Amino acid sequence: MRLRMTVVAAVATLAGSVGLYPLFTTGRWVWAALGAVLCAAGGAAAARRLGRGAPLDAAGGLLALLLYLTAVFAHGRALLWIIPTPGSVAHLVSLAGSGWDAVNRYAAPVPLVPGILMLVAAGVGLVAVLVDALAVRLRRAALAGLPLLAMYSVPAAVREESVSWLAFGAGALGFLMLLTADAREQVGGWGRAVPAARRDAGAADAADGERVQPGALAASGRRIGAAAVALAVLVPLAVPGLHPNGMLGGDDGGGGSRTVTTPDPLVSLKRELTRPDDSVVLTYRTNDAEPDYLRLYALDRFDGDRWTYDPLRSTPRDRVTGGPLPAPPGLTLAPTRTVRTRVTVRPEVRRMTFLPVPYAPARLSVDGDWRVHAESLMVYSLRDSAGGRTYTVDSLRAEPTAADLSAGGSYPADIVRRFTAYPRSVPAAIRQLAEKITARANSAYEQAVLLQRWFTAEGGFTYDLSAPAPQHGGDLTAFLLRSRHGYCEQFAASMALMARLLGIPARVAMGYTPGTLSNGVWTVRSKDAHAWPELYFQGAGWVRFEPTPAGAAGQGTAVPPIYTADTDPTSPDDTGTSRNRTDPREARDEPSRAPSHAPAHRDERLDDTGAAAGDGGTGFPAGWAALVAGLVAGLLVLLGAPMAVRALTRRRRWAAAEPPSEPRRRLRAPGGGPPRGTGPADAAHAAWRELRSDARDHGLPFRANESPRATARRLTETLELERPAREALGRIAMAEELARYARSGARVPRGALRADVRTVRAAFAAAVPRRTRWRARVLPPSALESAGRGTRAALDGATAGATDLSRAAGDALRRVARR
Amino acid sequence: MAVGTHDGEPATADGPPGAAGLGDLVRVAGAIRRAVESVVEGKAPAVRLALTVLLAEGHLLIEDVPGVGKTLLAKALARSVDCSVRRVQFTPDLLPSDITGVSAYDQELREFEFKPGPVFANIVVGDEINRASPKTQSALLECMEERQVTVDGTTYRLEPPFMVVATQNPVEMEGTYPLPEAQRDRFTARVSMGYPDPAAELAMLDVHGGRSPLDDLVPVADAADVRRLIEVARGTHVAPSVKRYAVDLVAATRAHPDLRLGASPRATLHLLRAARAYAALDERDYVLPDDVQDLAVPVLAHRLLPTAEARVARRRPEHVVADLVKRLPVPAPGK
Repeated sequence: MRLRMTVVAAVATLAGSVGLYPLFTTGRWVWAALGAVLCAAGGAAAARRLGRGAPLDAAGGLLALLLYLTAVFAHGRALLWIIPTPGSVAHLVSLAGSGWDAVNRYAAPVPLVPGILMLVAAGVGLVAVLVDALAVRLRRAALAGLPLLAMYSVPAAVREESVSWLAFGAGALGFLMLLTADAREQVGGWGRAVPAARRDAGAADAADGERVQPGALAASGRRIGAAAVALAVLVPLAVPGLHPNGMLGGDDGGGGSRTVTTPDPLVSLKRELTRPDDSVVLTYRTNDAEPDYLRLYALDRFDGDRWTYDPLRSTPRDRVTGGPLPAPPGLTLAPTRTVRTRVTVRPEVRRMTFLPVPYAPARLSVDGDWRVHAESLMVYSLRDSAGGRTYTVDSLRAEPTAADLSAGGSYPADIVRRFTAYPRSVPAAIRQLAEKITARANSAYEQAVLLQRWFTAEGGFTYDLSAPAPQHGGDLTAFLLRSRHGYCEQFAASMALMARLLGIPARVAMGYTPGTLSNGVWTVRSKDAHAWPELYFQGAGWVRFEPTPAGAAGQGTAVPPIYTADTDPTSPDDTGTSRNRTDPREARDEPSRAPSHAPAHRDERLDDTGAAAGDGGTGFPAGWAALVAGLVAGLLVLLGAPMAVRALTRRRRWAAAEPPSEPRRRLRAPGGGPPRGTGPADAAHAAWRELRSDARDHGLPFRANESPRATARRLTETLELERPAREALGRIAMAEELARYARSGARVPRGALRADVRTVRAAFAAAVPRRTRWRARVLPPSALESAGRGTRAALDGATAGATDLSRAAGDALRRVARR
Repeated sequence: MAVGTHDGEPATADGPPGAAGLGDLVRVAGAIRRAVESVVEGKAPAVRLALTVLLAEGHLLIEDVPGVGKTLLAKALARSVDCSVRRVQFTPDLLPSDITGVSAYDQELREFEFKPGPVFANIVVGDEINRASPKTQSALLECMEERQVTVDGTTYRLEPPFMVVATQNPVEMEGTYPLPEAQRDRFTARVSMGYPDPAAELAMLDVHGGRSPLDDLVPVADAADVRRLIEVARGTHVAPSVKRYAVDLVAATRAHPDLRLGASPRATLHLLRAARAYAALDERDYVLPDDVQDLAVPVLAHRLLPTAEARVARRRPEHVVADLVKRLPVPAPGK
């Protein structure tokens, strides 16, 4: 029936268009698309009635689509609101132009301005015409998948984000429906009686034998289709590298969310540092006399080898709109000042998807789709590159004093948990070294300063850009304990790690040093690429430290922050580091000021390390441990499930066969047998079902064509059962036989059926090989079967429901058409 | 062995008339069975089937090659019940009136007098029934189904019990006419004797060597007993699910691709009737699907016509029925 195909094609188009949802801010487009599809399908169907060939059908669909667009978008200039006139067509064209402009202007999701709405309606309508022509007129349902796919891939191409699994499922099911309907038509074309309408003939019982085959075939076809779609949705969950964010990551932005990772930001660092041309990366103007570093990344995770960042989960809500950015975490007490920086990134810069901004950005105006990660204040884009862009950023520059930092309170628990974690593989030697270096310190701040001093002055480190980039945790150990040759990456990574070992929340930042100033313009070159540690102090937030030697013998324009200049008076030397402005502040009284806070910090730290040792480490190791524990627990649950299902089934069966109370007797369904006395018969049925499950569990076949008696005979013979088991089996079979087939009111022996079942089960277990016995205990096949049956029933139900729905729609339409 | 097996049994023939219970049935039937088996060695299933048909008020068709004891079984069964037994040897020149009887003109009384044919008996042994012409075979139709004979417009009722035990050679043998479908359908069951196993054949040589064991056979029951037993067997309970099972089984033969003609509704009727008797012989007052399964081939197979393809492929109706029995699930209470 052509009409049904028409309906199915329209439904498939609509289902495919569901995938467009992330492109738009609101759902209004659905109605426009629905109207377009209906009109296109209706027009094509009407043209088909005339029967003049495929081109005319398509023309009919297009004409109907044009009328629809005119009526909806240009009725003011049309004749009788619907007949297109040159004026209305011109209006449509201009609308399309404005829509096109809007599409190019906005990043998805775009607002539904009329132009865009019209483009959507026209596009979906065109797809509907194509699908209709291919599937209905040319009978090429498979080919009709191409326009559907094209429509479906629009959001994927434009958004670079995957659409929700629901949308995918809808599209796929729509296409499957189209294929199914087409196959049904083709089979129908052979002239065989295909049970198209299962419920047409209510009294078709007699035809049972004939209907079995095609029905089963269709059901298995539906099952395969549904299983394929389910697999397509589920497999990406299990495969790393494919991120089905819509499904498990909260789909909270109204559109799809997306995970952002840069494989290894630090790898690019060395490459940039060693570029021979030392090209200009960016220039900027600022009202800050001594500008801070420009930060790209905050690497908050140390995996034992490298510093990386946890994948960012990006949602449209994170977009930079020009309004205030999220407040910098922890910056509450320290004095701040706002600096404005206008940065121009050179157009040659490629693939810079993070914006270099001075920490902490508070307000940013930039073109394109840029997003901010609230926790780290990294600014990134899913699709745009910073190359060639100019943007203005207002940064909140904290200016804590040494006193502020040492007076910082204890850390919030979540900060501690996230930023003091380190893997267990970190050698104890590094921790001992860190503790030795900071033995004199009384506060976290002093520890940090001493660490920085040790790196820049006391430790005897040499800045050496030729040192190999650290690849493994062992490289950092070697750097700290033996070679002491390295560049900013080693310095930053080591100091951040040692800070964590001491219990100070730390991360590694990556970006650029301020560069060089000439004529009021700061120029940042690739050699200014840099990595540095950021340590967290309550009240001041994330604070930069600079362990890398600066100047000619070090990182050119690196600047130790002013609050770290308070050097310990006991240290005699201050060598080598050129721009290490020794600010002779009164540092002597620091130790006396700090003690009151130091214990708090110490306690915190002890707590951390204790926790790390206790629950398998915080942060990363804890993550692994939790993952492994979760996997093991999940595995156990999976393994235990069949056993539990089996035990539950057993209990339920026996409970149902308890001597009946009155209401239960009333509720009992009559079943296939004689109107039996409920109690004993139910007990017999329960015993028999139990026996059947036990037999299946032990791999003993239970044949549908055998009566209880025959089954008992066969089992007794094949298993060579001993007398007690034989008799027990006989009693169970007899009870079931009487319950099933004997005159109503027959005396079914109630007695010890349960004990008999137990006896027989033991006999089964004794008669089968050990492996089968264990499988019966641990993975009882009967439980697996019932689960499989349930799943199958659900699948069949769902697909049959969908088919019925489409059929009902087809029927309704046909009735309308007949009228 | 043949002698004396029935010696202890004569009392069974005249049991207390009111106590025709299941136990009585089993006892009497057991006596008959033993009597028959004393003559026909090693054929317990065939004997049991013959008894089943007797108690089911049916007719039995015994089909096999010559010389395996078809007639012996028929005669033994007839002789162990003390009732009127007639034997008809079917030959190509046998006429219908030779079976039903004729109205002959009595010279003295000057009127037509009906001379009853051999069908007027409780057990009619029709030997080599497929050697007679179809016309003669058809003469049996009315007797078998309606238990009456109509000659010259007068209808004569036949006394119950009435059972036709016919033997026939396989259709492929020379000089045979295949039984018409209608007549085949009237036989409740067909049984094949099959060759005896070597031991039974050896025993047979000893026994049959001297004289016919039939001569020693004395009746162990009479017609009234049989009538009573038939009543008892009729009272066997058949659960609705088992009825449904039988209907499904028969219906399945009608839809089977290998069969040109499936079993008739009469076949269903016969199947259940036989199953009742079969269950009663087992001292059971309810029918099991097992009874239906055991009887499916004997009761159904001879009524089925295979298609030409099935015939060429040697897929015989027996196999088809056995296959259906294997595939059809027995009735069980809802899951």
